[in-house]
Amino acid sequence: MTLVPVTYKGGIFQHDIVEDLIEDLGGYIVQKHIIAAEVVLQCFVPREDIELIREISRPLFGEVTDSPLVGTEIAVVSMSLEIHHLPHPSCDIAEYVRRLGAKSNMVSLARGPGKRIAGLNDEERDVINEHDLAVFLLGNFETCIEYKMPTLRRGIEVPIVLAGGPDISVLKKIVDPPVEGYVGNVGRFMRRTKEGEQLLKLDEIVAEITRVLEKKREGIAKDPLSVSPARLMGLIRENVPEILDVTSPTPLTVQMAGLRVKLPYDAFAEKVRKIEIEDGIRLGDIAEVLPSRMRDYILVRILPFSETNTVV
Amino acid sequence: MQAIEYFSVECPEALGGEYYEQIANDVLLDHNLLRVISKIHIFIDPKVPLFVAVGTLKRIKTVVRVGDFANVNPLEGKTTLVITDETYLAPMLKIFWERFGKDKVEQPDRFTVILYGVTATPAEIEEIAVADPSESLHKDLIYALRCIAPEGFRLRSEVFSKEKFSYVASENTLAEDIGELVKQKFALMGETPP
Repeated sequence: MTLVPVTYKGGIFQHDIVEDLIEDLGGYIVQKHIIAAEVVLQCFVPREDIELIREISRPLFGEVTDSPLVGTEIAVVSMSLEIHHLPHPSCDIAEYVRRLGAKSNMVSLARGPGKRIAGLNDEERDVINEHDLAVFLLGNFETCIEYKMPTLRRGIEVPIVLAGGPDISVLKKIVDPPVEGYVGNVGRFMRRTKEGEQLLKLDEIVAEITRVLEKKREGIAKDPLSVSPARLMGLIRENVPEILDVTSPTPLTVQMAGLRVKLPYDAFAEKVRKIEIEDGIRLGDIAEVLPSRMRDYILVRILPFSETNTVV
Repeated sequence: MQAIEYFSVECPEALGGEYYEQIANDVLLDHNLLRVISKIHIFIDPKVPLFVAVGTLKRIKTVVRVGDFANVNPLEGKTTLVITDETYLAPMLKIFWERFGKDKVEQPDRFTVILYGVTATPAEIEEIAVADPSESLHKDLIYALRCIAPEGFRLRSEVFSKEKFSYVASENTLAEDIGELVKQKFALMGETPP
């Protein structure tokens, strides 16, 4: 059974039918938003059952769409929090990938701007490395990108998608060693992205992110995870009821190979480690429970089959 | 809106220059500065790196008076003001309160102000100065130029006079002969530095 990421959109009336159906089919609901009278569910469902969900939700005016970014956490790295980069383009891009199901976090560098003076500190590096992918939003000049990129990517282990003002061919030429993805002609601009051409550019960024993540997914599939992150999410929710009191929008953030638990590490790490998954296998046996550099959250990294020799 | 007489962005990187032209245009438009600037020349060299903006300003009408945005109609001991533009309503009310007293000023709705039993003639009321937009002009201009300049260029040399301005910024110490460059850029527009 292969689970595929989809988004369900429909009215609030009887939406619990759809929720129950997804869970009965063996799928997982990663995020649920209720906006006025509309419900948006971001979920993983078995590929062969998508038609069934469509069928059953038709009388409820439900809509099922593919969203390849569900279950990923993406860092949108902006060079600073100044008016130069915010709200356009950084927020526009962060918001756009969110629409397609990703959980995006904006990481603003303390000393990102400039050419010679640009830098990345250890906290920023570690926070970026906690994500599935980092989108670097750079400026308009190839001279500056060429000069500062080696500094900014130092120590970054996650795939990088680089967006900058110069053409894509120029970006490919000046970045050495190459990064995983490039999007040209999106540098700094001071206007909202609302016109057709600009929206196409955002689509291009999303397409590039999807392509890079797909590659990462293939890599993970070669050595599968010991447990699906979405399954762990359900288990943590059942076993650590304190998570239900967390007011953050996604108290449990699903990543491609782990998840972020937004509870203090010192108080809850042991409890999370001891959660029993199946037949005496505990979460601590097949995943690392680490302190996150983001606040005092817990980061769960699921180990691959080759290390644990178990798949549950 | 009146167009800018001269607007040019000079940059060794053609595409980067194009983007900066767009940025400069957006920022000046957002801050309502197109009506104020007469000529502007921007020069950026990312290799140095250096950002230079020079330009001249239009003479703008300095003081806004009550007559500019309101019709004053005297009628049986009371004076009714019909407001056409709300922008300066708050400072106007403040001035009226100080001058005539709060009990004599009434504002039944957004576009009407009634003055009861004031001695001033309608012509006198129309002449009352309410605001001076040129006061905040330089503040806006400096802010806009900072927005246009690439971030991180924190070493600046700025000159703002009544008619002309020059703004030089870099992340490195500015060269001693930077005045010469500013002069050259002014010459491109057929002007001399302030």
